[in-house]
Amino acid sequence: MPPAVTLASAATAGGFLLVLAIILPAAGVLLALAFGRHAERIALLLMPAGFAIAIAILADVWHSQASLVAVMGGWAPPLGIALRADGLSAMMLVTTALVICAVGLFARGDFGMPAGGGEARAPLVFWTMLMGVWSALNAIWLGRDLFNLYVALELLTFSAVPLVCLDGRAETLAAALRYLLFALVGSVLYLLGVALFYGAYGTLDIGLLAGRVRAEPVVWVSAALMTAGLLAKTALFPLHLWLPPAHAGAPAAASAVLSALVVKGSFFLAVRLWFDVLPGLPGVPAAQALGTLGAAAIIFGSVLALRQERLKLLIAYSTIAQIGYLFLLFPLSTGAAAAGIWGSVAWTGGVYQLVSHAIAKAAMFMAAGLIGEALGHDRIAGLGGIGRALPMTIFAFGLGGMSLMGLPPSGGFVAKLMLLTASVTEGQWWWAVVILLGGLLAAAYVFRVLAPALAGADEPLRLCARVSRRREAVVLALAVGALLLGLLPLRPSELLQIGRPAAPTAIMR
Amino acid sequence: MTGAEALLAVSLATPLAMLAACLSPRLRARMPGLLAIAPVPALAAAFLSPGAGVALPPALLGLTLALDMPGAILLGTAALLWIIAGIYAAASLRGQANGGRFAAWWLLTLAGSLGVFITADLVSFYLVFAMVSLAAYGLVVDDGTPRARRAGGVYVSLAVLGEAFLLMGFVLLAAATPGSSLLIHDAVAALPASPWRGSTLLLLILGFGLKVGLVPGHVWMPLAYSAAPAPAAAVLSGAAVKAGVIGLIRFLPFGAALPDWGGALAAAGLVSAFYGVAVGITQANPKTVLAYSSVSQMGLITAVLGMGLAGGNAGAVLGASLYAAHHILVKGALFLAVGVVQAGGARRLWPVLLPAAMLALSLAGLPLTGGALAKLAVKAPLGDGIVGQFATWSAAGSTLLMLHFLARLAAAAAPAIQGPVPARIVLPWLAAALASVAIPWALFLTAGSGTLSEALAPATLWAAIWPVLAGGVLAIGLRRWGRWLPRLPEGDVVVLAEGATGAARASGEALERADVLLRQWPVAGVVLLALAVILGAAMLAGH
Repeated sequence: MPPAVTLASAATAGGFLLVLAIILPAAGVLLALAFGRHAERIALLLMPAGFAIAIAILADVWHSQASLVAVMGGWAPPLGIALRADGLSAMMLVTTALVICAVGLFARGDFGMPAGGGEARAPLVFWTMLMGVWSALNAIWLGRDLFNLYVALELLTFSAVPLVCLDGRAETLAAALRYLLFALVGSVLYLLGVALFYGAYGTLDIGLLAGRVRAEPVVWVSAALMTAGLLAKTALFPLHLWLPPAHAGAPAAASAVLSALVVKGSFFLAVRLWFDVLPGLPGVPAAQALGTLGAAAIIFGSVLALRQERLKLLIAYSTIAQIGYLFLLFPLSTGAAAAGIWGSVAWTGGVYQLVSHAIAKAAMFMAAGLIGEALGHDRIAGLGGIGRALPMTIFAFGLGGMSLMGLPPSGGFVAKLMLLTASVTEGQWWWAVVILLGGLLAAAYVFRVLAPALAGADEPLRLCARVSRRREAVVLALAVGALLLGLLPLRPSELLQIGRPAAPTAIMR
Repeated sequence: MTGAEALLAVSLATPLAMLAACLSPRLRARMPGLLAIAPVPALAAAFLSPGAGVALPPALLGLTLALDMPGAILLGTAALLWIIAGIYAAASLRGQANGGRFAAWWLLTLAGSLGVFITADLVSFYLVFAMVSLAAYGLVVDDGTPRARRAGGVYVSLAVLGEAFLLMGFVLLAAATPGSSLLIHDAVAALPASPWRGSTLLLLILGFGLKVGLVPGHVWMPLAYSAAPAPAAAVLSGAAVKAGVIGLIRFLPFGAALPDWGGALAAAGLVSAFYGVAVGITQANPKTVLAYSSVSQMGLITAVLGMGLAGGNAGAVLGASLYAAHHILVKGALFLAVGVVQAGGARRLWPVLLPAAMLALSLAGLPLTGGALAKLAVKAPLGDGIVGQFATWSAAGSTLLMLHFLARLAAAAAPAIQGPVPARIVLPWLAAALASVAIPWALFLTAGSGTLSEALAPATLWAAIWPVLAGGVLAIGLRRWGRWLPRLPEGDVVVLAEGATGAARASGEALERADVLLRQWPVAGVVLLALAVILGAAMLAGH
């Protein structure tokens, strides 16, 4: 395999797909703003196209067994800007498309345009911002330039914040403001780091930078600033102050996008920074520090999830815990033995956790939305008998919960298995203890919801709204997807190796 | 795929297909009447498929299925009990509104319970083991009373804990297996040379020990079995618990002699065997007494396997399987007997009590019963040493406990004169009682563990009868002075553990206060900057 530097500078045949993946949803934003009354229709029309593009990129990467590259205007970096889809990007593109499309189908009921013509504020904002999030995420998955990635990250934040306060209540406005401010602080730190990199090496292209960085103080300073900023945006414990109110207060369809995808954008950039820009440079102590924060997040988030009174807050704290698992990727693939086959186990496990959590959590938030709609509240103590009223929804919630607990054959199980294997073979057993403990706590908080939901009600349940079967079916389909993810462990791990610099080729199983 | 291999797949697929059919409300309502069909292919497979093995395509979860001799013995007996209990359940569920829900949990538990005997790779085994462990929760809490919910809570907590132990144990097994094989056989063969041998064995024993109710992991048994409806208690105590036994059989490296580990396991098993008797005789509810008897019996099976591990004696596996097969049928039949007695009136008690007495004493090893053969089959693996002596005395303990059970059973009969117990409830129970005698004889004579003349030799008969007589004497003592015994709560030490939840709650509150603190702006800002500094320092320190 040629080194990444030369790969990045030569465009491949399918490169236009990468541009389309970003432009199409962005065009959707503009069209929706121009023709506000048709925002929903525009978004729903663009979704199949966007999904098809993501699949096409995945198929192209898989068949050619090489990264897909697009170079803007024919100018190779450092003059021009490149987009590149390696195996990891392709997987993220498809996951994003899947979740966005499911959320779109689900939201047709919530954010349908009023029938009598005219436009309504909330639906317009929802559909435009949904497209905005999609475009920004795709730009993050594909970007090869640290400043471009900064722009994408800002676009992501500014699209995500309005989703938090769609209903305009004072408390959601406060939550959105809190989110916005903290995310901005994170952006400032990230941008500082980017500036230092540019000052030191004269380029921001990931491929070129990877060839130029040396172990020197400026690298430590900028890497630490950028990482800290990205952690703030990812809501890694103890920087999670904005997440619970924002994710729990947003409408279910928005919460699903925020929890499943938006926090993953900044995590993904941290991975790019550590493994693509600075391969091996941050060193073991820093990786252990990130892992420690992740472990603390797992325990802390799970215990707090267990103690919540409201279903959506429970799911939000569970997101904090599940984000923690992602950060175990750093110590487990930075260790001494990581150069060999087992490094790829931690790597695959971490990415598997990312994807399976995205799908499972989106399903769970939407299921919680339907439950809240049917009951008029989402107090866990009042869920008795809901299993009989909304069997499909509760089943979907349970399937998502299985993935969080790590029960086979879900994607979460495969992820956990790989992370455990990595911690054994890397000799870092302490992560295994945390992973297992997190699984027990996850079982406890999922059980806390399912046990009353499946039991009979003390008094007959009064539903305030009928829930459409179509929306229930969307949620269930997504949850089944999270389960089926566990059935294809072989291929994605191979897929993830495509475009990895100096990737080991041997794969577990 | 040959017919024998296909049969293995079908025996796992049938209950799952019926479960899928439960998605339709119409079919779900009819499902309780069909429960007895689900285990039929598995019963056929036990006869036709021993020695067969098949790896299913990835679309079918990539399960690897295989059936060996111990697996076939346990699969066949467990399937038989599931059939009989299914007929009983169909009768007792008639006209009940939640029958469909019960049937769904039943089918899921059933699929897992039979699956553990035929899955041959780590991931498949973990999958079906989780199925039988977790789905049983739905059977335990079926009647929805606070007591059942508490039992279900304790049960599912320990089940999930056991799953965590096993997951880690399996990861260590897989990591120590050369090549990429995930077959249990290969993993266990590599275990004696594994760098993590000690931790792996400990995790496996903890995980399976919780399932077989090794003291102090037994606390869920009395709660769960006494809360579950009679047919559910029958299959849980008879068939589902054997997932732990087959786990020990499959995963302990009997090929290598490990005296320390085997001795410790045997000791733990014997402690359970006597502990179950000691606490069981203080219990008043006949189902609870039976549950403590299960603790005791599973302890004895564990002791047999421990001795096998200590001596590197793979022959212990066959003995333990026969013993477990007998326990499947007898314990199932005894739980159904409780259901029959509670369904009828005191007037017609004797026709029920006599066969129940035969079953109960069979568990104690009364000559000519299946239990005597089961004890004979484990005699050689237990040896003549101190473990063998204790095992013999545990039969006296079993007699005592079972006589106590019979007294409690008689007392549990509904005093009011109801109509005769319907035949559709009595007949499956009688079938189970008959099978518990006939099947052990058939297995004993065909599986090559002994001969007819050996089983009927005077010395053998005497060895079997004196513990029963000793137990009878003890029972007279219990009847006389039993009122002086303390009344221990169901699940004994679980009460202490439940007391400790206060501490857990306090630490949860502490974390909640920490959350409030961390989510204040100034704190979060300082933490963010501190993190940037720490990360920078850590990177610097790394070079």
